[in-house]
Amino acid sequence: MIEKISTLWPEIALFMTTCVVMLLGLSANLNIRKLCAPVSAAGLIIAGVLAFGTTPENLSSTLPHFAMYGKLLAAVVGLLLLGLLTGVADRQYEALVASGRERFDPIRTVRGEFYAFFLFSITGLMLCAGATNLIWLFLALELVSLPTYVMIALSSGRERAMESAVKYFFLGALGAAIFLFGFVFIYGATGSVELAEITRTFVAQGRDGGINAIGLLGVLLAILGLCFKIAAVPMHLYTPDVYQGAASPVTAMLAFVPKAAGFYSLILILACVGWGGGGGLTVTQSAAGSHGALPSPIGEVLTIIAVLTMTIGNVLAVMQSSVKRVLAYSSIAHSGYMLVALIAGPGPFGTDMPSNGFAAVMMYLLSYGITNVAVFSVLAVLERRQADGTIDEVDGFGEIRGLRKRHTGLAAIFSLGILGLMGFPPLFGFFAKLPLFQSGWAGGHMALVLILGINSAIAAYYYLRLLSAALLDSPEASARNVESFERAPLAGRDMAGYCAVLAMVGLIVLPLFQVSGLQPTRWASDAGEYKAIPGLEPSRNNATTLAPAPQPVPAPEARADSPQAAR
Amino acid sequence: MMMDQMMSSLSPSFAPVWSLALSGGGGGGGEGGSALGVLASLKEVPLSAMVWLIPGLPLLGALLAGLCAVLKVRSKLPAWLMVLCLAGSFAVTFWMYQQVAATGGSTFAVVHLFDWINFNWAPGKAFVANFSLYVDPLTCLWMLFVTGLAACIALYASEYMSHDVGPGYCRFFFAFGLFVFSMACLVMGDNLLLLYLGWEGVGLCSYLLIGYFYQKPSAVAAAKKAFILNRIGDLGLALAIMLIFVKFGTIEYAKLWPMLTQYLQMAAAGQFDQIPTSVQLIAVLLTLAAFGKSAQLPLYVWLPDAMEGPTPVSALIHAATMVTAGVYLIARTLPLFQISVAPLAGLEGTWFGFVSQISALEIVAYGGGLTALLAATIGMAQFDIKRIMAYSTVSQLGFMFAGLGVLASYGAAFHVFTHAFFKATLFLACGAVMHGFAGQLDLRKLSGVMWMKGWLIVGLAMLVGCLNLAGVPFTAGYFSKDVILAEAFSVGHFRPLAWILLFTALLTAYYTFRVFFRVFVGPKHYEPGDELHAHDDHGHDHGHGDKHDHGHDAKGHDAKAHFHPHPPGWAINTVLALLAIASIAAAFAYPTYFVKGLVDTSTAQVAAGAAGHTHVGGATIFGYDPHKAMYYISGIVGAVGIITAFFLHYLGRRTAATSAADNLNLGALQRAAQNKWYVDEFYNFTIRLPLKVLSHIFHMLDKLVVDGLVNLAGLLPRAGGAGLRPSQSGVLHGYAVAMAAGIGVLGLVALLALR
Repeated sequence: MIEKISTLWPEIALFMTTCVVMLLGLSANLNIRKLCAPVSAAGLIIAGVLAFGTTPENLSSTLPHFAMYGKLLAAVVGLLLLGLLTGVADRQYEALVASGRERFDPIRTVRGEFYAFFLFSITGLMLCAGATNLIWLFLALELVSLPTYVMIALSSGRERAMESAVKYFFLGALGAAIFLFGFVFIYGATGSVELAEITRTFVAQGRDGGINAIGLLGVLLAILGLCFKIAAVPMHLYTPDVYQGAASPVTAMLAFVPKAAGFYSLILILACVGWGGGGGLTVTQSAAGSHGALPSPIGEVLTIIAVLTMTIGNVLAVMQSSVKRVLAYSSIAHSGYMLVALIAGPGPFGTDMPSNGFAAVMMYLLSYGITNVAVFSVLAVLERRQADGTIDEVDGFGEIRGLRKRHTGLAAIFSLGILGLMGFPPLFGFFAKLPLFQSGWAGGHMALVLILGINSAIAAYYYLRLLSAALLDSPEASARNVESFERAPLAGRDMAGYCAVLAMVGLIVLPLFQVSGLQPTRWASDAGEYKAIPGLEPSRNNATTLAPAPQPVPAPEARADSPQAAR
Repeated sequence: MMMDQMMSSLSPSFAPVWSLALSGGGGGGGEGGSALGVLASLKEVPLSAMVWLIPGLPLLGALLAGLCAVLKVRSKLPAWLMVLCLAGSFAVTFWMYQQVAATGGSTFAVVHLFDWINFNWAPGKAFVANFSLYVDPLTCLWMLFVTGLAACIALYASEYMSHDVGPGYCRFFFAFGLFVFSMACLVMGDNLLLLYLGWEGVGLCSYLLIGYFYQKPSAVAAAKKAFILNRIGDLGLALAIMLIFVKFGTIEYAKLWPMLTQYLQMAAAGQFDQIPTSVQLIAVLLTLAAFGKSAQLPLYVWLPDAMEGPTPVSALIHAATMVTAGVYLIARTLPLFQISVAPLAGLEGTWFGFVSQISALEIVAYGGGLTALLAATIGMAQFDIKRIMAYSTVSQLGFMFAGLGVLASYGAAFHVFTHAFFKATLFLACGAVMHGFAGQLDLRKLSGVMWMKGWLIVGLAMLVGCLNLAGVPFTAGYFSKDVILAEAFSVGHFRPLAWILLFTALLTAYYTFRVFFRVFVGPKHYEPGDELHAHDDHGHDHGHGDKHDHGHDAKGHDAKAHFHPHPPGWAINTVLALLAIASIAAAFAYPTYFVKGLVDTSTAQVAAGAAGHTHVGGATIFGYDPHKAMYYISGIVGAVGIITAFFLHYLGRRTAATSAADNLNLGALQRAAQNKWYVDEFYNFTIRLPLKVLSHIFHMLDKLVVDGLVNLAGLLPRAGGAGLRPSQSGVLHGYAVAMAAGIGVLGLVALLALR
């Protein structure tokens, strides 16, 4: 256990920062209290540097570099999100204080807690990436989610936020119960909570004719429970309500942090079962009999989930009239896209980027995190003054209509973000989306790739509708009430602007790296490196795993003599 | 760790894959210091260190012009920056040529700049297209005239476009620089994808520049026409590249050529049936691409309309450089054409059956020859001098393609080279006239321009250009045309083509001097064009309104009375003089074998035993060797054309405006030629009209069927949602139940799958 601590420096640093932030937030002095955000940022930077610096504890484990890059990703996107969130905490209250209508009362503030909860959530995400056993994974997932419930509630003074928080909490508890149930079954089937041990047991079971039913049930339930975190069918129902209810910066966080945690956990759990050709199980147990397919019921269920998630997310997004609901449904669809790469698995050719689904997911998470921040930052900067004088968030299509004419800079950021989500070529979104297709293709999942393509086309429809509303339409009557932060004397407007610009830089600069040879794909393919367990590689498939085979698809005879076919 | 990888990927990025074995120039300048030493040591600079500047400097120029636009510069600054950048680019090109010449040619270098596209989906299977430059003699030849002419024409445009100083000026030079950059990508790219990038890039810039006067509907229409017609050719190029990749697994020249040697040997042995039909089809697709970009039948109709752009653009893009991209493409991929000489056997009975009787080279040859003839006949009947030049460009491009088709790649490249200079001269001279006479281009309304004060240089330059175009003996155009004609005559089964070309040469000489005799000599007379009292935002005073009182604020027709043509300024005169001299000097490339040396050491060389082309050993014309006979025949043909023009349009001219030729009643024939043989109308009727009808039908179908389906699809979830949506109103357990149900269904699926 002691040696484990040496891998936890990023989390430890972040936790210490959290403590400091909590104390700062309690200060009666407004200026000291305002240090919360910079201190949090410093903590995230330190954690990122530490994550980059820590050597992976065990290079021979299944996913040797995954933890390191997972933590780095959490720190990078966390930093962007932090910039966005600075506009949230106490902003209405402080606006009142600044205008002199209220006196400053240290008791009524939530600033310290708000940042602390955010940092806790990021800590949880990092712990998720480094999890080596099921209990650890469960606790990490809870640490990701629990603070978010509170953050939604704190994010705005309105009732809707409270309602969202409660909804999210109860349904989140349901999801957690389901994957915990799954973890229990996995423990029952393998007798261990250590992921490495579970992998070995599953591999041994696979050799003997298949993973036992309890183990499969466990993995299935775990996947279904994690579907809540990534907002995939059938656990996606909460998404639009919750995303709409929370303040935009918190929505941006909800769209990234729990999703990343869910995908990290899915990668860790699916790596235990293996992709046949990749290292866990032999070809004989995999569903289609081809290389790189998940074991039988898991593969099918995940495929169904992926198809439904993409399709439902996109089709429902088409019919929305609220910008945040469109983005919520599109967030569901994006999870479906990433599931395609996950189903494809690490691919038959080692760490090669195009065929490695893990790498594709990591890259896409980075791209999605950045573009998300860009889009939501624009929504966060805009606000709407209602007839009764209260201030509300911008939401309907009508309110972003003609954004270009009113706020050119914001419109530019918004449209670049939307194009990034769409996966438009020169932007990073394109370079991140391409590997999803490629890995699916390399894994032999042509139908999934096709559906992914069709869904991207559907998605383009509503993204372009958003774009045309912002760029081409003229401001409507409802947009007259839409003011930017520049007019509203609220704290944090600069930070939201900065992080929007930062996200833009990411969107535009990362592809430059891509073309210039300093590819971000490098880190992604490192992160997605997947190794067979030493000594336990399935003997039959050595050719496909270790030395890349000359032909990507094994000859059909390979499965003719398999026990499954015999059965 | 990440940093390490970044560093390691940086360091090799400037290392050439093949480095030239640079010889000579070594020891002498070792000590350095003196200017001579610096020059000598320049020879030791590796190619890779400098070559990237050739596309890089024009791009820099374009960016600077863009910056000027952002900074709202209202001076000629962008033009000067562009001229500097392009001159630098030309200097580097010249240096590159020196380096290549020092090796004696017959070698090539690939200068790797950075990784661009590298997909490897399986070991040994990769789609690689790096941003690398391919340096060989053919590249040098093309880049020499592209960068050289671009620099000159940028200088010319600095004055010509001066009435637009401001945002339009910056926009012009931005597109100008971008064009040269794209052209450099096209010519220097070491793989077909980079060529494709350049191909599309020049197309885009051409579109932008044709539509430069975007408030003029005709300019917008012309730009669209050019863009859309080019799509057809571009489709051919895309398909060809895909087919090449499918067949050979690479699109990099350096890897592609070695793979073709086997086929070339087969072709030399006449075993065409052993070469797969799909490989032979590549050449046909490439032909389509080349015909689109270089305006050949049936895709030529965009080029005459492209003259709506500013004249420097017409000179650079639509006469000298971009339109020769098709010739470059075929010259570069000539090995693919040489293995596609046989009729495309194997296609009989298929949908492509009609192609099966002719080979790619025959398509190229006869396509070029017929285009040459058709364009020349149209050119004879036009009155707009710029349009005449446009048709002559189409016609001369036809000559080049005919040259390629008879495997006289040297002749084609030589003609590209000479044509670039004299056609740019002609266009720029016409542009000077247009500039000075307020947009007047009608040859019936101008006369004796050369004798007006300040117009001598323009007139002389025009004369030089005309002599070249007409193929008067000992001019550059004469030599380069001769090579093509002689080769056409000496390849047995191309005799009909050769006669077509010879006849076209006669027409060319006639219509060229028709322009010269009517506009530049004879009695002085002019009517200003309509840009004076017209219309749009871009300065009617042509930038010198302060000096001359054009009275443009007076009412329309009074302005004409006060009109003075203004002779060109120093920039236009300098450039015209330079180009005229260059056009004359280009003739020396013939006796010195400058172009021949470059072409014959590149991929455009014709393999020994030029497949299938039976060079009739003792082919003769009237008993003489064709090469020698052609010296006399084409000289006589040119003279006949000029003399005819002299009688009809100089001596026969009764007044400035009318000539004897106008009274020749040729009836329908003349009218048809004047109306461009109704080709546009024919296309309208056969292609546009059916498409329009179809589009209406599809629109109806779309409205009824597709929209109906979409609406239905929209209705279904809503109808279904009506049952489920009570939960939307905030009922929490509705979600929980739905989730549980979902889990149940998926569990059932899992159970079924397990069974």
